[in-house]
Amino acid sequence: NPQKYKFRTMNQKLLEAADYLDEQIDSMAKILLEHYKFDSDEFGNPNIQSQSEILTVGRVVPDSPLTASDADLNSSSLFLETSRLGGIGQRVKLDVSSLENYSFFPGQIVCLRGQNLTGEFFKATQIYAIPFLGSPVSSSEELQSYEYGNDYLKVLVTAGPYTPQKELDYSHLAQFVERVNTEVRPDTLVMFGPFVDVNHVQIADGSARFDGLDKQPATLDDIFNMVVAPILRKLECLVILVPSTRDATTKHAAYPQDSFDRKSLGLGKNFKCFPNPATFQLNEFLVGCSNNDIFKDLKDVVAGSARKESRFDRIANHVIEQRRYYPVFPGGLRQKRSLKEQDESAHISGADLHLSYLGLAEFNTSLPDVLILPSELKSFSKIVQNVLVINPGTFMRQNSAGTYCEVNFKAPVLEELEKAGDDSYLHTVWKRARVDVRLGGL
Amino acid sequence: RASAELQPLDSTISDSERFRDCRKFVMKCSSCHSSFDFGGIQASNKYQTTYSGIKCLSCQQMLSPLAVSAQLEHFLRHEISAYYAGWLVCDDCGIKTRQVSVYGRRCIGKSGKAYGCKGIMRYVYSDKQLYNQLLYLQSLFDVDKAKKRVLKPLVADHEFEDKENKPVALNQGELDALVEQNRDLFRSHQRVVDKYLAECGRRYVDMGGIFEFMSVFKR
Repeated sequence: NPQKYKFRTMNQKLLEAADYLDEQIDSMAKILLEHYKFDSDEFGNPNIQSQSEILTVGRVVPDSPLTASDADLNSSSLFLETSRLGGIGQRVKLDVSSLENYSFFPGQIVCLRGQNLTGEFFKATQIYAIPFLGSPVSSSEELQSYEYGNDYLKVLVTAGPYTPQKELDYSHLAQFVERVNTEVRPDTLVMFGPFVDVNHVQIADGSARFDGLDKQPATLDDIFNMVVAPILRKLECLVILVPSTRDATTKHAAYPQDSFDRKSLGLGKNFKCFPNPATFQLNEFLVGCSNNDIFKDLKDVVAGSARKESRFDRIANHVIEQRRYYPVFPGGLRQKRSLKEQDESAHISGADLHLSYLGLAEFNTSLPDVLILPSELKSFSKIVQNVLVINPGTFMRQNSAGTYCEVNFKAPVLEELEKAGDDSYLHTVWKRARVDVRLGGL
Repeated sequence: RASAELQPLDSTISDSERFRDCRKFVMKCSSCHSSFDFGGIQASNKYQTTYSGIKCLSCQQMLSPLAVSAQLEHFLRHEISAYYAGWLVCDDCGIKTRQVSVYGRRCIGKSGKAYGCKGIMRYVYSDKQLYNQLLYLQSLFDVDKAKKRVLKPLVADHEFEDKENKPVALNQGELDALVEQNRDLFRSHQRVVDKYLAECGRRYVDMGGIFEFMSVFKR
């Protein structure tokens, strides 16, 4: 419900934030209890010494409150935080030496079997994976009702910044729009912000200038309206805009983030403005997307066969398993490190999480078919748990061409789809999609 | 709780007092890159408000409206992001962390075990501070405050070590004229701040909570 994203920002209440963090643990415990048909008597408090093995659900946290959010943790610096119900909110040192395969990160909700023999630490002996949500399905009638031009649905995915790092120059975007209209001709273009990046150097120092305009823009909103919008308005296909918390073109500077206001930006009806994160449907496909760089911010402690997987696979798997778009807590932070004390480090930017509304960044009742998670790291696409995961990369990469993705979805053929029920079919998008990484602005 | 946080006297205290802990708005000249603290229409050795806007006194170049508003919005958004970094501090042991206990106010303590320290955690950057920071930025472009000379001074009087270099205060006639000439420009800068003030949750008091006692009359 997009209305829910219209909450007021800048009034984070500590107790509300804590309520959400507590509820995350207990609601996941309930899901695990039902899924594994555990006996609820098996659950215990991992903080207290016990002669027998117990089950526990908690949050993985660092062993010290002073650990920086970008610090590299290791297998001996992990604690487990309990909920108010599960262990009066206390934290216990986690001994993971008996576990063969794992990937743990701060903020992760985990279900463990183990024992606290001495009262000093909880020795985990088994991890229970959180069950995956089901995949969405459609009826044969629904599947046949969607349009596929030339038997394919062509979707482009781009993510900002759309200008070089040193100059606020949108000519690359203008050339791209031209190419989209004349050559690529997609059905849909999904564009992630930032469009006007509040942290761009020429905005930070006020030196941005725009040639060839009768009148210079007077504000950052003017830059969007006078420079960016005229370029975007030329697009002929359906365009979906998802903001970034770095976008100047929004007053909602927190994640989860309200959508742009299409009308005030003067964009036509072929534009749809979605919140960040958003879940929406393209033909039969359920698309989930989130514009907060989880691939950069999630740093895990990994051992065993999980180590052989690529880091991107592990992170995508975590997002899918945790059922939320940004499962890291505390959120990522960029700071200018000072040589003096840690306290003196200057803030640059961050994930800007508004904790009490993070429920809006949870998956709904099913997994998405396609998961788009833009990152400033190198673009990729992969299939994780039958979900097509895409990082389009950034359109401009510092001062050179970045990347975008072109995805072609083949029209569904009923006979080739997997049946989930009498008249319900799995979309099996991963069998029908082809992702090409293309060079962005030049 | 809402009523305990209410500060009805805020509007009656002076800007100097109210904005005492606000971070200064440091602007950079887009021509010569020298930076200066901007304090609205008041005397400074670094910049001058002229009949056509703000001028850098190191290079005598004017700052374009975009140069000012871009830096203003950048600074403002930086403050919002710093607020959302969510740093907490313990009133007892003084630990600073971004981790939050499931009890919120409970200190996680040096042990990391969330017991032992009886201190209470609170946000280092409170929503009240952020709200004040926004109001401060808005006041800098409030020409009527400039006219009445009630803006927060760039440097407090007693801080002037070098009396010789103290900028000469503007005379009232000059000030009045500058105010009228810059009214529209400064109003457009204020609108940048208004964009966020309108969004700022702190501005909206829970009227239901305050006037709860009156609900008896409604029926």
